[in-house]
Amino acid sequence: MNGFDFSMRASRTIAAAGVLGAVAFSVTPSVADAQTTVRMVLWPGPEGDAMQKVVRAYNNGQGKTDGISVDMVLLSRDDTFAKETTEIATRSSNVDIYFTATYNIGFFAQGLEPIDDIGIDKSKYFSAAIKGLTIDGKLYGVPLDVSNHFLYYRTDLVNRLLKDESWKKSYRDIARKVLGEARDPKKPSEWTADDYLATAAFFSRSENPDSPTRYGTALQAKTSPFNITLWDDLLWGLGGSWTGKDGKAALTSDAAHKAMSIYRTIYEKHYTSPDASQWEYGETNAALQSGSAAFAMQWSAAYADLTSKDKSPQIYDKIAVAPEPGDPHRTHVHTLAISLNKQSRHKDAARKWMAYLATPKAMTAYAQAGGIPSQPAVLKDNVKSNAAFAKIAENVRKYGYSLPTFTGTFQAMQSITEDLSSAWVGVDATDDALSKANDKLQSLLDR
Amino acid sequence: MGAVSAEGFPMPMRQSATSARWVLSAPLLVFLAVFAVFPLALGTWISLTDRSILSFSINFVGLKNYADTLRDPDFWHAVFFTLKFTLISTFATLVLGFLLALLVHRRFPGKTLLVTALIMPIMVAPALMGIMFRLVLNAEIGLVPAILDRFGIAIHLFSPHLVVPLLILLEILQWTPFTFLILYAGLQALPDDVFEAAALDGSSPLRTTFMITIPLMVPSFFVAGFLRAVDALRTFDVIFVLTGGGPGSLTNTLSIYIYKKAFTEGNFGLATAAAMLVLLMVVPLIPFLIRRVTTRVGDVP
Repeated sequence: MNGFDFSMRASRTIAAAGVLGAVAFSVTPSVADAQTTVRMVLWPGPEGDAMQKVVRAYNNGQGKTDGISVDMVLLSRDDTFAKETTEIATRSSNVDIYFTATYNIGFFAQGLEPIDDIGIDKSKYFSAAIKGLTIDGKLYGVPLDVSNHFLYYRTDLVNRLLKDESWKKSYRDIARKVLGEARDPKKPSEWTADDYLATAAFFSRSENPDSPTRYGTALQAKTSPFNITLWDDLLWGLGGSWTGKDGKAALTSDAAHKAMSIYRTIYEKHYTSPDASQWEYGETNAALQSGSAAFAMQWSAAYADLTSKDKSPQIYDKIAVAPEPGDPHRTHVHTLAISLNKQSRHKDAARKWMAYLATPKAMTAYAQAGGIPSQPAVLKDNVKSNAAFAKIAENVRKYGYSLPTFTGTFQAMQSITEDLSSAWVGVDATDDALSKANDKLQSLLDR
Repeated sequence: MGAVSAEGFPMPMRQSATSARWVLSAPLLVFLAVFAVFPLALGTWISLTDRSILSFSINFVGLKNYADTLRDPDFWHAVFFTLKFTLISTFATLVLGFLLALLVHRRFPGKTLLVTALIMPIMVAPALMGIMFRLVLNAEIGLVPAILDRFGIAIHLFSPHLVVPLLILLEILQWTPFTFLILYAGLQALPDDVFEAAALDGSSPLRTTFMITIPLMVPSFFVAGFLRAVDALRTFDVIFVLTGGGPGSLTNTLSIYIYKKAFTEGNFGLATAAAMLVLLMVVPLIPFLIRRVTTRVGDVP
């Protein structure tokens, strides 16, 4: 065999391989075309991690039967909604399914398609979740994670307070000073707003130099729209709300003044750290974990970290939860969700995937992967995956409320926080802040 | 003989030179059109409409967004806070940067290492810097409060009366290396003979600094000050990460104000009107600053 023959044969082989490759290339897209790709946005963290597993299972299983492949895009946790705002405002069809929540569904509704026709069984969900995603009688999202608040407290400290006579006496004295009336300590599950304040004072060295903790509680007073929801629990627990029975803004009510006074007293009397003016979720966890605060109102998502031996070695076996202080107890509930883009080019495929996600099977997989589904039966059946599920289910069912759903809900959260947070930490006068927040809320309601 | 231009060049040559100018300028013109003229024109148009995420119908509203913005006390609060933040931080970074440049402007062992260490902060993304400081200064888990606590000093840097000085301090810490770099380069470019003459005349180091170095460095000061001020005027990341503009609107910069209008309120008309107003406030200063920057020492300003 000479070199020329070899070269000719090699050329023919390469040419044949090229032709085969081209044929394979031309065939492959037609196989792929049989599947419709649905692009969905979520944010990273527990929700994104859990959904990734559900997506993978769907793509490898039922997705093949449905002819659908789901492509999940994780944006940054901080600006997912800002990016979605831009996408919706520009009527983009880049994404088929948006990540939404009960607090911003009204904000995005203009760019979303109602999904009543996918036939999800609404009775399987917490009513607050469905209510929060419904606008003008139309459902705009499939509920995913439910979020609520608990009062996290140190059992060792509170139990001693309930038993130790010298602590009880001291508590009564402090309550008389702070509230103007002596009262006995109560179990956290029975706390009203006044008990919350008195106990915060008792466990603060500014009021009680013998306190085992530096501060009674940890306020989340940073100007963040999510922090207003914790203050809202006090407001609702005192019988107030953002709006009155007539649907008008009601932030100048007696309940609102009382809720403001409790926050301001806690901050000004140092029953929380002075740095709490910039605190949110992470700092509150840190205050409990380091043992500097005795209790705090905090999101349900914190349960896993605060009861983990690895993450909270000092307190993991001394933390319990109770309903938020109030008479009656109330907890803000919001639900994360997915919604259909009105501009989507794959609406039918997106609807099929969304209908799949609404099934108990998909939500069970989601719960086992770390999500907190808003289907009470799924939470109950998966308590082994997360001990908080039972408490969340009970708390949301008994005490849950949703913020009023209107186009400006999220704007109202931002503007009310901006006005009230400055008064919580003593920068602005309470009356002015409430009045300003009330006017802005009313103008958003009027729009 | 062919036609001759007024400058004495044959006409074809002049035409060719003109064409060459256009061809050479084309990339810059395209760049300006795409990245400056078009966004500016679009921004101007949006600022005259009620464009919002709450409605896809866009209506022309004239100057209403501008009037609403100018009537908004939060806008003026953001203007004054941003100006205060910019003026104090720019002045401080210039002074400290110059002192550092004077310190380094001599031979000593380990100089390269020191200069490298000095400029490291500007290599860190501002948002990352914000997160870092949020952790380091955290009263519960932060290193700084823990160290101070050991000496019996309880300091709460995020409390309302300390948060503004803290933000300015962090800005100074991050950006002093930037002004140092520019001023150090300017210092090295100064002619040696002037300083030699001053030394021969017996001028003290302090007198030389004030009477020779600083006047000669004026263009460098303007370059550093201008770049720093423009950057400080746009500050967003660090403050947004650390305070979100709070407590209340206490630390809202203009950028945060505009961001909230656009992405929290979804009101793009108001947000772009505010952005255009900021531009209108800054643009008149630019020719003045450019003139100062390009003025040579000895020229009449």
